[in-house]
Amino acid sequence: MLEIFKSIQAQLNATPHLLRLGRLFSETILIDVDGEEFYLTFDKGRLDTVTPGPSRKTPWRFALRTDADALARFWQARPEPGFHDIFGLVKIGRGRIDGDILALVKNLRFFKDVMTLPRVKEMGA
Amino acid sequence: MSIEPITGRYLTVTIEGAPRRIYFEEAGQGRPVLCLHTAGADTRQWRHLLNDIEITKTNRLIAFDMPWHGKSLPPEGFQTQEYMLTTEAYIETVLAVIDGLGLDRPVLAGCSMGGRIALQLAALHPDRFSGFIAIEASDFQPAWYDIDWFHRPDAHGGEMGAALVSANISPYAPEAERWNTLWMFMQGGPGVFRGDLSFYTRDDSLIGRLGRIDTGKTPVHIIVGAYDLTCTPEDARRTADGIPGATLAVMDELGHFPMSEHPEGFRPFFADALALMPGASGNMR
Repeated sequence: MLEIFKSIQAQLNATPHLLRLGRLFSETILIDVDGEEFYLTFDKGRLDTVTPGPSRKTPWRFALRTDADALARFWQARPEPGFHDIFGLVKIGRGRIDGDILALVKNLRFFKDVMTLPRVKEMGA
Repeated sequence: MSIEPITGRYLTVTIEGAPRRIYFEEAGQGRPVLCLHTAGADTRQWRHLLNDIEITKTNRLIAFDMPWHGKSLPPEGFQTQEYMLTTEAYIETVLAVIDGLGLDRPVLAGCSMGGRIALQLAALHPDRFSGFIAIEASDFQPAWYDIDWFHRPDAHGGEMGAALVSANISPYAPEAERWNTLWMFMQGGPGVFRGDLSFYTRDDSLIGRLGRIDTGKTPVHIIVGAYDLTCTPEDARRTADGIPGATLAVMDELGHFPMSEHPEGFRPFFADALALMPGASGNMR
């Protein structure tokens, strides 16, 4: 899972339009996958560090808690209904969002586009 | 170079005792079909069907922008008002447009909040219509988000609204149409999406009225997309079950804005729906 978040980091930092969308986003967020923690620290849209947990000392703005199978399905080119969006994961009981939800919503397109970077690209798409 | 067959004009009607200048588009001839857009959007959602010559050969498709939306202005004095759509004002608006355009018992096709009001009209004013196509429509479901997110001085409500509703678009939707659909939300006036959602997520008065709908006189066909998180197939099925004689179609590869997000995928479902309505003629498929 760490490799996937590292690949998100590399892709994001090489994607100018996402860096522009996230230019006001400088926060640490927590992604919890089957209880395994990953702290993603953004600075003006760039993903500076991906730090595996556990950590009780790292403050985070909001958290997405889910499981590895759900993420694998979320990252398919054409996910099944419910697995196609982070709020879909919440709706079908495979995800939970905690913390400062408004901070997420204010940066919602940026965060969603970052989270879908590992999504399998279709041939010709 | 191409020029589309859609024409747009303006109609002024009185709603809630004051004039409203309403923009409407139409194409085709024959049986009138009045089309209602979703919350936070406008008539452009229907443009693919208005440009469909097989459908408009025998159907006069008309779509209008609700006041505060698209090219319809808000009422005079809007600058001190808080926009909050109500069932009563929405019904008055639809009936005023029908009267203003002189439509004789049109088919009413509405999506999302437009589908909700179509079912309200099926219960309360069936004599004014010949049938109802309710798309992504249900009796009621409360918000799974805070509608106040979409109207605040420190953030762009349209951009947040678009990012939220993208959750309801199918991964089968062509990329260009996904973003054209979201663009309408990004363009919405301040507080308008919130005011629409107030109607859609807080008024549950339809629940007690479903049983009044007489599908023997005016058929009701409900269409729902499997990728719709807001009005899920379960919500639509529950609603159809509450209306004796209502029919339901589930679209496996579509979401909450089918006519806009994936026009080709939606077209056969809409043609089937039109065929179920009184006065159908010709094969539109």
